[in-house]
Amino acid sequence: MSPGGASPPRRRRWRGGSPWIVLQLVLAGSLILLFALPIYALFTYAPPAEIWDAFNDPAVRAAIWLTMLASGIAVLASVLFAIPLGYLLARHSFRGRSVVEAFVAIPVVVPHLLVGLGLFLLLIPGSPLYRFTTAIGVPVYDTIWGVVLVMVFVSAPYTVLASDLSFRAVDERTVEAARSLGAGPANAFLTVSFPIALRGIVAGLLLTWARAVSEIGGILILAYYVLPAGPYTGPPTSTVSILVYDLFQLGDLQYAAAVSSLFLLIAFALFLAVRVGERSGWLPWRRGDLEP
Amino acid sequence: MTRWAVEGVSSHVERFALGPVDLALEPGRAVAVLGSSGAGKTTLLRTLAGFQRAIAGRILKDGADVTDRPPEKRQLGYVPQGLGLFPHRTVERNVSYPLEIRGRTDARARARELLERFGLTPLAARYPARLSGGEAERVALARALAAEPELILWDEPWQALDVEARFELGRVFAEIRDDERVPVVVVTHDPELAFSVADSFLVLKGGRTVFQGRPTELLARPIDPFSARFVGYENVYDPAALATGGPGSLAAWLAARAGPGGVVFARPVLPALGPSTGRWEGVVRSAHPTPEGVSVVASVDRLSVALRIPPPLPEVLPPVGSRVRFDVEDMNVHPLGAIDVPVAGIGR
Repeated sequence: MSPGGASPPRRRRWRGGSPWIVLQLVLAGSLILLFALPIYALFTYAPPAEIWDAFNDPAVRAAIWLTMLASGIAVLASVLFAIPLGYLLARHSFRGRSVVEAFVAIPVVVPHLLVGLGLFLLLIPGSPLYRFTTAIGVPVYDTIWGVVLVMVFVSAPYTVLASDLSFRAVDERTVEAARSLGAGPANAFLTVSFPIALRGIVAGLLLTWARAVSEIGGILILAYYVLPAGPYTGPPTSTVSILVYDLFQLGDLQYAAAVSSLFLLIAFALFLAVRVGERSGWLPWRRGDLEP
Repeated sequence: MTRWAVEGVSSHVERFALGPVDLALEPGRAVAVLGSSGAGKTTLLRTLAGFQRAIAGRILKDGADVTDRPPEKRQLGYVPQGLGLFPHRTVERNVSYPLEIRGRTDARARARELLERFGLTPLAARYPARLSGGEAERVALARALAAEPELILWDEPWQALDVEARFELGRVFAEIRDDERVPVVVVTHDPELAFSVADSFLVLKGGRTVFQGRPTELLARPIDPFSARFVGYENVYDPAALATGGPGSLAAWLAARAGPGGVVFARPVLPALGPSTGRWEGVVRSAHPTPEGVSVVASVDRLSVALRIPPPLPEVLPPVGSRVRFDVEDMNVHPLGAIDVPVAGIGR
């Protein structure tokens, strides 16, 4: 971008658009910087050797495993419960719809410490729900189930909203075409609506996962320490977010940065894998719109 | 070969009421459903397809009542407006869809045959987003035929197609009608398509049938301004337009021959050479050459009248502003009836 070296017509065009383009670049660039700089700080504060140590530390590994496992279960729960709710909102108009929509928005707008407190009070020892969860063998206090519960609460709305929007965007005429060509309602859903909406739903599930792994507020109250129970059989540990919080509290800034960097790398690799999978067509849901 | 009969079918969408409509659908015959926007054309098609409930009347397929059957049990080839191609499936897998749904093991092979027949083989691996309008139409048609339909329902097939694609699609359409021996119902705004493929016309207005019969009948006796313009008349005047003329004017002369819906007449002919003669005089507003001669528009008092000079094309077109004289043959003037249809609302 050296105006002196540009040919006359190009220079004219550049002059015409320049204040507008510069404004856009400055505004967008500021936000990108805000996103990037803390990451830069983390990685520069923790030397690679320290990150490698964290990678080999059984305590860190347990925390990462717990976080991955719990967030994975939370995403599965979203697949099972949030997608149908999104479909319901997209395809049916019913009384009390806006009330349902308001409830879906609650987890997004309420501070998460309150969420933890609410769940804590709901499941307080002696309460019917406490007796029920204990009886069926999914105790929530200080177990992975508590972590999952909080994660689902705070993250499932992203899948509900993404599914709602994605199913809304499916052209009803494609569904009618499928029906007229011999597919019953369920078949048309499975072969047409769902695969078309899947592109958007997957984006929602990724957000759900991201929100789940970053949760701390509710987990602080419900499952600060996680003891082995259910699918988690490792040593007592905490989620990565709480582990980093603990290290920070103890004053071990360098190790806190190392654990954070390590987890960032893992999360980033996962996102990248999904994107590359989509681009290469190995993951099927975006094939139609990515064809060159 | 399946025969379909529609007997007094009525339906409604919100406040718009359709029907009663009667139709006989014979194998190898095509019915064009015509009408201005909101006349109920698409509603009729959706009722035949089973997406819209018939509140009265019956739909019979070879004598069996299918009025309440869901769309998937009607053996249809339905091509909705906008085609409804599956964006997540390739061309080939769009076409094989109806066969896959039926669990047919020869789905792929049969789809390939259809692709070959419609000249789509080179596009087999493409996704619909990358097809041209004409290609997409052919894919939709091939997919509808893959369902081995006993009735083809086609909504606005020519919308947004260029001239070449229209020509090609018209050819394919006629071929299907003749080869498949399946009744076809086509909703269209396009007179060219309607005249080239349909054996009969059904004209809807405000949800009611206002004409049903052979295209030539509609041409000989247009029933209302819409159908007059649809079949190609340009000199169509409603009573209000005719009220503007004083005694002895063309408007007054036409008013004396008009029906309650106005009047229509074919283009009067001007001589290619020499001065024109006739009872009426007009001022040329425009003149342009066509394969059928020169199309001239002249104003006569406040009326705009379309005239024509038959071929061969003259060397010089009548200049704008010049005066021409012409006659209107009594036998070419058709009164338009007032078809008193209560318009129930805005339909689809």
